[in-house]
Amino acid sequence: MISSGLQIYNANPVFGGRGGWTFPRVLLLGGWLAGGRDWHFAIMWVFSLNLLLYGLYIGLTRRWHRRFVSSSDLQALQTGRNPKRKTYAWHRLVYTAIVPLLLLAIASGLAMYKPAQLPWLAALFGNWQTLRTVHFITVPIVLLFAIVHSLLALKAGGIRLIQSMFQLR
Amino acid sequence: MASSPQRPFTRRQLLQRSGLVGMGWLTSGCSSTWLANQVGQRTEPLNQTVEALLLKPQTPVPEFPTSAIEPLDALLINTFDTTPEIDLQTYRLTIDGEVTNPLQLSLVDIQKRPRQSMVIRHVCVEGWAAIVQWNGAPLRELIALAKPKSTARFVYFESADGYYESWDLASALHPQTLLAYQRNGQPLSIENGAPIRLAAPIKLGYKQSKWVTRVQLVSQLLPQTGYWEDQGYEWFGGL
Repeated sequence: MISSGLQIYNANPVFGGRGGWTFPRVLLLGGWLAGGRDWHFAIMWVFSLNLLLYGLYIGLTRRWHRRFVSSSDLQALQTGRNPKRKTYAWHRLVYTAIVPLLLLAIASGLAMYKPAQLPWLAALFGNWQTLRTVHFITVPIVLLFAIVHSLLALKAGGIRLIQSMFQLR
Repeated sequence: MASSPQRPFTRRQLLQRSGLVGMGWLTSGCSSTWLANQVGQRTEPLNQTVEALLLKPQTPVPEFPTSAIEPLDALLINTFDTTPEIDLQTYRLTIDGEVTNPLQLSLVDIQKRPRQSMVIRHVCVEGWAAIVQWNGAPLRELIALAKPKSTARFVYFESADGYYESWDLASALHPQTLLAYQRNGQPLSIENGAPIRLAAPIKLGYKQSKWVTRVQLVSQLLPQTGYWEDQGYEWFGGL
């Protein structure tokens, strides 16, 4: 999703337009603009259906009760003395924040894909440049999330936790 | 028990590595365009169905106030080849194909038809967009003059520079699909497609042919569906 998106970005950079800085080829997917769009509009189905299934799973199994950040986590962050509890609270905060961000990536992408058929969605973002910027900004945030999430996992359970996740033993 | 012969890596590692190498080969270098094409061909029918379902053929897209119109240079100029020279006196627009009354219209004929003005967002496949005002004749009224047959399902547009495009009939008959001859109330510049260009809020920029000379209704798409589509762009290109 990201590298095909960067391929599309390069056709007309969000920052700087035609003369703007472009991403190096090694990060791109699709070979050229049409190929990048082919990939982007193919994987968007996987991406959004995956998120939908996750939402159904969380909703139907009532896991949202205990999975996401809660007031007790915020309390632990402010006044807690147990470092493990704090790490856990941070973990849940980050873990919760990524869900609306992924939804934002879909909403802003859809608004750019179908601005004429979904004008209310495109209008939510103000002007076109803001819409493009919001959609693009989800990329560095998701990457940052992946890094912070991994570091927190490492902090919470060490290398043994990571190994147990991927069964690298 | 004899020790097993030394291997550089195990069978599992070999499989893993060949998988990685294969993925790397497919997603980079000369094969990447080929693979993207395959991906596009597999998923375009699905995307196209959704796009056609989203299209509301009779409902106008909300327009922008005239105060939102962007400066002339916000609409970047894209041309696949050359800018043609067209003699306005001898210019004729042909409407033919699956119609019972094929037509040839001069520029004056088209300008005498009811004029429609719209302020819409022009969105380019490259990612940029500009809010522009177009004035022109609704294409559906000109097509109605030619009396389309019930077999007509698609429309081909030919341009003076050799550019060609094809649209689904529903999009061509949309109330905001114009054959425009003015921008911001002034005659079109040659770079913007004078004397006649397609303009619509419901299609990407590459679908909106400039310098249109022929509108041909057909019952089936030909193998060639458009200059950029034949290079790999998606055909529907709806917004």
